Amino acid sequence: METIIECREVGFSYGPRRILGEITLSFGKGSMHGILGANGAGKSTLLKLLTGALRPEAGEVLYRGKPLRSFGQRAAARKIAYIPQDPVFAFPFTVTEVVLMGRAPYIGRFEFERESDLEMARRAMETVGISHLDKRLISEISSGERQLASIARALVQEPEVMILDEPATFLDIRHRSEIMNILKRLRDERGILIIAATHDIFGALYYFDEIIMIREGRVFAEGNVAEVVTGENLSALYGTGVAVRKEDGKVFVYQGD
Amino acid sequence: MPAKKKFLTAIVVLTALWIAVAFVSVFSGIYDAGIIETVTGGDPLASTIFYKIRIPRVLMATIAGGTLAICGAALQALFRNPLASPFTLGISGGASLGAIIAMRTGLAAGFLGFSVVTIFAFVFSLLTMLFVYSVSRVGGIVATGRLLLAGVVMNFLYSAFILFVQFFSNFTESLQTLRWIMGSLDIVGYGEVWRTLLFALPGCLLLLSITKEMNLFGLGDDVASSLGVDVRKMEKEIYFATSLSAGAVISVTGPIGFVGLIIPHILRMILGVDNRIILPCSFLLGASFLTLADTVSRTLISPVEIPVGIITASIGGLFFLWLLIRTKKEVIV
Repeated sequence: METIIECREVGFSYGPRRILGEITLSFGKGSMHGILGANGAGKSTLLKLLTGALRPEAGEVLYRGKPLRSFGQRAAARKIAYIPQDPVFAFPFTVTEVVLMGRAPYIGRFEFERESDLEMARRAMETVGISHLDKRLISEISSGERQLASIARALVQEPEVMILDEPATFLDIRHRSEIMNILKRLRDERGILIIAATHDIFGALYYFDEIIMIREGRVFAEGNVAEVVTGENLSALYGTGVAVRKEDGKVFVYQGD
Repeated sequence: MPAKKKFLTAIVVLTALWIAVAFVSVFSGIYDAGIIETVTGGDPLASTIFYKIRIPRVLMATIAGGTLAICGAALQALFRNPLASPFTLGISGGASLGAIIAMRTGLAAGFLGFSVVTIFAFVFSLLTMLFVYSVSRVGGIVATGRLLLAGVVMNFLYSAFILFVQFFSNFTESLQTLRWIMGSLDIVGYGEVWRTLLFALPGCLLLLSITKEMNLFGLGDDVASSLGVDVRKMEKEIYFATSLSAGAVISVTGPIGFVGLIIPHILRMILGVDNRIILPCSFLLGASFLTLADTVSRTLISPVEIPVGIITASIGGLFFLWLLIRTKKEVIV
């Protein structure tokens, strides 16, 4: 599998506080990686290192073999899209306007979007199923719909990689599966590498190919879902008893031993 | 309507509005001769008033109104809050104190003239903005309550300092300062127009060149940065450009309030929130608004001239009140 992003011995601290250390990982094209870990384990920091928003203190993040920091910010924005957990929308832009902002890395200083950009935004809204919301204000729609708008915005960036920080944490079960299915489709149809932090163990089992477990700033376990997501690992990861049971091809996760 | 078409339409309409307002303004006043005599010099007195007083005054109103409105829109983008403006953040108060200190200590007359006053106004604006920004930001998000409170507190403090300076001034100086604080476009000749433009123009152009970044900044620091915006650089540019250009205007006209708050607000109600449209349009509508307000201030109870700051503060206050009543059931921001 073609490697897109690689972390080599990456470390990071906020001031004197060590957040991440000795992270070595590699992410291949067209796969879906879930990052599990307790609150404060360093998941978000790792994602920000992968988007290039933060620079590693030690080691290096490589993009197709070249240091990520050697890319300009605009060049990186054409390759890596980022979707936060709870996106900020300070002003009531329309949904179409928000989606079009994903074209920013392709548009010059005093330019407006061309018809082709608008067409791309329309298609992205169609892909995530929010075409009917195009003229609505982002402040008026539900948080699930806002998350879909964020994904459409990320899509028009034409990225190779989409990095999501707990994309579905605040959503109900229907919206959660809708979003995960969309991500899965993007992986299959466009070969987009998807990296998402998540607290949703069920989702992790159903949707992801690879799981990375982060505990106290270190990689605690990684590998394919079936190998890594075990009761033993989860219990150690969260510091509370978690059991995984497989029955008739279905997986059950519950609290306890 | 696509953004580009909306932008062009709005620019044409607002430019036409400004031309109409400017035309009415230059031909309004106590001394009234026919238009042709005035322009061609057939009536020398009318002609002198026209070229030496009214045209510079309309230009000054245009620069001041446009600059304050653009600064308001830019600060609203920076603070991610539609209630930010040079006036509500205490930046005008800071600029005023800076300007008064420069004037009273004789630095203004001492050397370089006007520009020392402007530099003081600029430095005080910048310091005020940095202070209010750091105080009102909690965990990366600007809290509206803290923002407005910080602005009010700064304004009170600056008022106290200004009164202190006033107390130790003689009667003439004190009256001069008082008149200046009321906000006025009472200038003669073109000197002040050019000197203001020298600082305000680069500031406004810088702000107009980063409107796309301002839009992206509205999606939060992390998303903006992932879309190619150098967030820290953009913030610094807005600090610098608004302090410079608003400081330059305020050091000449005194603190003219509410233009920076009302104008972008009205435009957003009509045109949406895209800063690529709102900023340039703010300049044009702000220019028209202040020119019109100045015309009213000169003609309302002529021959007495009311300081234009009183007019804009009255309109601004009423507008704010209307906003409060209208949005009673919603959240104000």
